[in-house]
Amino acid sequence: MVPLENYLVLSAVMFSLGVYGVLARRNAVLILMSVELMLNAVSLNFIAYAVYLDPERITGVVFAIFVITIAAAEVGLALAIIINVYRNRSTANVDEVATMRW
Amino acid sequence: MATEVLWWVFAVGLTAAAIGVVTARSVIHSAIMLILSLAGIGAMYVFLTVEFVALVQFLIYGGAVTVLVLLALMLTRMGAEGEIGDLTGSQGPFAAVVAAALAILLTVVAIDTAWPGDIDDAPANISIEKIGEVLFQDFGAVFILISAVLLVAFIGAIVIARQEDD
Repeated sequence: MVPLENYLVLSAVMFSLGVYGVLARRNAVLILMSVELMLNAVSLNFIAYAVYLDPERITGVVFAIFVITIAAAEVGLALAIIINVYRNRSTANVDEVATMRW
Repeated sequence: MATEVLWWVFAVGLTAAAIGVVTARSVIHSAIMLILSLAGIGAMYVFLTVEFVALVQFLIYGGAVTVLVLLALMLTRMGAEGEIGDLTGSQGPFAAVVAAALAILLTVVAIDTAWPGDIDDAPANISIEKIGEVLFQDFGAVFILISAVLLVAFIGAIVIARQEDD
């Protein structure tokens, strides 16, 4: 069967891709999508640990469900903010919304 | 053996889709790649024998979250544009260096650590009854709290996104 390390490396690669997206992208919606990638990588890690190392108490599976719930709330709020920013500034690029930059 | 080959097929597809999300030149292509990678994560949950979480993943992420993202793309009218260099800022190379360093670090740690127990074994079958038991007994208070958080977040989202008619 597939060993635990495969899941860990896969999730590490996905998390790093999400980090790259958050740092490199200019558009707020694309940054949000990269954050989703990172959240999913973390959930995969939680579940892999729970199934391989802790199959009696499966805390990681429950935590993954909580992560999915929080991610849904986060997406809803972030998109509301993005739509509001777009309405006020006619752009969703984060480097153009720099009113509060010192 | 067949499971292993299938796992690698899904893992390569998942990684390719994730690369597509962060490098696509159009926001719509990026969103479609996001659907693929979220579905790939769901497939990984099936490999890990947690079918319930896989189902939740397909429903919440593949359905609801993707629709929300596409709706935001539509409302902010970003589908038409999107050339090279437009979506990725000038900080791209630095971000690539940071991400590559992080990937190497995490991979080395994951392979180097001596995990306790038999990690090459076939995963135990996690039944949905067990998930329900743990979720509602051990984490009952957290479950109630998190539903309150979800409710407050959605009311807040409605308030923020509402068109003000003064």
